[in-house]
Amino acid sequence: MNARRSVAAALSAAALLTTAACGGGSSDGQSPEGAGSPQAFPTEDVTLTMWWWGEQEAPGAKQWLADTVKAYEAKHSNITIKTVLQTTDGLIPSFEAAAAAKQGPDIEYFWGGIYSQQPYWSESITPVSDYIPADELAHYTNAALEDTYDGRTLTAPWYVNPQFPVLARTDVLDEHGLEVPTTWDELLNVCDVLSADGVTTLAGGVKDGWFGGWLYSMLGAQSVASKDDVTAAVRGDQSFTDPNHAEWWTRLEETREHGCWNDDINSLELYQAQQRWVDGDAAMTITAGTDAPNFVEKVGADKVTVTTMPTWGDGAYAGKMGTTSQTVGITSWSKYPQVAADFIMFMHTPDRLQAWYDQTGSLPADDRFDMSKVGDPVKKQLFAYAADGAPYLENFIPSALDSKAVFAGVQLVLQGSKSGEEAAADMQAEAERLRRTDRSLVDNFEGWTD
Amino acid sequence: MTTDVATVGPASRPVRRGLAHRLGPLPWVAPAALAILFVFAYSMFELVRQSFQYDDAWVGFENFSLVLTDPLFRTAIWHNTLLLVAVPVLVVLALSVAVVLYETRRGVVAYRAILFLPYILPIPVIGVVFGQLLQLNGALNGALDGLGLGSVTQDWLGNPQLALWTMGGVIVWKEVGFGIVLFLARMMSLPEDVYESARLDGAGFFRMHWHVTIPQMRPLVVFYVISEAIVMVSWVFNYVFVMTNGQGGPGTSTVVTELYIYRTAFQDQAPELASAAAVLLFLSTLVLIVGFFRVQRAEGGTFGD
Repeated sequence: MNARRSVAAALSAAALLTTAACGGGSSDGQSPEGAGSPQAFPTEDVTLTMWWWGEQEAPGAKQWLADTVKAYEAKHSNITIKTVLQTTDGLIPSFEAAAAAKQGPDIEYFWGGIYSQQPYWSESITPVSDYIPADELAHYTNAALEDTYDGRTLTAPWYVNPQFPVLARTDVLDEHGLEVPTTWDELLNVCDVLSADGVTTLAGGVKDGWFGGWLYSMLGAQSVASKDDVTAAVRGDQSFTDPNHAEWWTRLEETREHGCWNDDINSLELYQAQQRWVDGDAAMTITAGTDAPNFVEKVGADKVTVTTMPTWGDGAYAGKMGTTSQTVGITSWSKYPQVAADFIMFMHTPDRLQAWYDQTGSLPADDRFDMSKVGDPVKKQLFAYAADGAPYLENFIPSALDSKAVFAGVQLVLQGSKSGEEAAADMQAEAERLRRTDRSLVDNFEGWTD
Repeated sequence: MTTDVATVGPASRPVRRGLAHRLGPLPWVAPAALAILFVFAYSMFELVRQSFQYDDAWVGFENFSLVLTDPLFRTAIWHNTLLLVAVPVLVVLALSVAVVLYETRRGVVAYRAILFLPYILPIPVIGVVFGQLLQLNGALNGALDGLGLGSVTQDWLGNPQLALWTMGGVIVWKEVGFGIVLFLARMMSLPEDVYESARLDGAGFFRMHWHVTIPQMRPLVVFYVISEAIVMVSWVFNYVFVMTNGQGGPGTSTVVTELYIYRTAFQDQAPELASAAAVLLFLSTLVLIVGFFRVQRAEGGTFGD
């Protein structure tokens, strides 16, 4: 974080203190006021724009958002909220373009962790804790774990994504006399047997890169002591070639050697590959936690076991599923941040939390959601995994390191043109380079993790 | 030739024109010139300014140094250079097809329309379609298998050793139509009597086109070569972005300079490095543009006659 940003933060903190008496906001139709907002709720006509993502991994989100906007507009006749669904590849670039011009959405969707930190570091968002009271934010799942910098909550969790469940088709495995693997050796044995029979063990697609990040989080998490190891490697206090950071690349290489994946993994996008599993052409696949129930439903719950990545390491996160919350933030150029904050709080009202679960089948990121209403055993299991989840590692490395070293490295290791050791060395080289090019990186990471 | 006569007569003396006469066109071109100046010069100024700054502070050539020492940038430049191989392929292909169509004449309008079609198709459409066709288990390999050519099948876009050449093939498929139409139009305007003379002198098909057609097409071929070289250096972003989901993969096998700039600016959030890379790309494109104008001047300033 640069000096200019620190001054701004100090000024904001001073403003926060002087206006603290304004008290907590609420979405009760009265004139809500934020935690430290000096702005009153406007009486003039206001139009907010929200750029969001999520229908891709939580089908039903679009309808829920439309209903939520409609209900909010009914309570506040002077407020209009326009929502624009972004594509997966366009989500970050379109926001970066908007941020460069300092115009665009008032409310923006962010994945958790680094994806909510970076826009704050580049002064593109205003912390939601400037407008949403602390006692309200305390209910938002993973806000403290992923989205807080120097005591300020940057973005507001919306829904929880258990990242990532492994879906195993017991019918396919049974046909070959196999059981759902839970350890690494068992997985490699399944791969050997199924590949000899011409069946894909794990269906995946890395052409679009994203799946590489998933694999890093699921395999790489198994040998680190905590997420702080990862941020230490980013800062240069550890190395990505150290065994606790590098060994997962070798495990990945083993999956290729044992023929675990579909042969066209490099020419398929992630979502295309998952269909193979639905069609019965693969025994296992990996999906977004929010979307897993839909996949299970397509195949039939009696034929599917939802589990975690087979374990190979003995780190604190081995055998656990990652958990992250997808979030929304308020842009620094929004003229009505207090209205944006009020709408975000409205998204967390009991009626909206229940509606989110009913319409998407995924878990809202709020501990006030009544879990006893979850009857579906698959969802129950997923939510239990998420409740006991580990930090989702991909969210704790710079996105540039993710795309340049992890996405690219996974593609090359799975294609066979690079060894695990070489990929680890590449990741370390990229981290070193990032520390030179992003001259605020180390300071920002220190501020985040201290 | 009547040139000598024209240069000795009184009318050939250079006319001394006054300043007012020379500045006469200025008011007419000023609005357009100002618009260009604002749009282009201002953008360039901002780009160059940003390339020398970090966090609003002057850093000299540090950004350029960081970009030039980035292995990914050098890889991207190398890939653009490799794509230049497609230019001679395009020229040979476009000229050959144009000559065949010129000789055939029958149905030339229909053929020309069909061959020009890829050129007017939007690149995203082409990218998505070829992305599907060229999958390991896609239609192309399926067809090859069906023809008993299973040994030829490849993971066209998934193999890092092949992906860039596959991309080059798609670019050639799209761009060649422009060359065909361009060359064919020129051939149809060439004087028939030259061909008649050549035929009377006993020139065959290849000799006639090699010695008669191509020399007369030279300025146009040069124009096509330079415009396609500019495409390969600075206009292939769309192909790469759509066909690799913005990744330039597998690995870094299809990363080109424009993609590097885009990702640096909008994904890695390093606009100052992206600006430095953009300035370097602009300078390399400028070399081609200057080359183009020099050739144009050497050819007498025209590309058609």
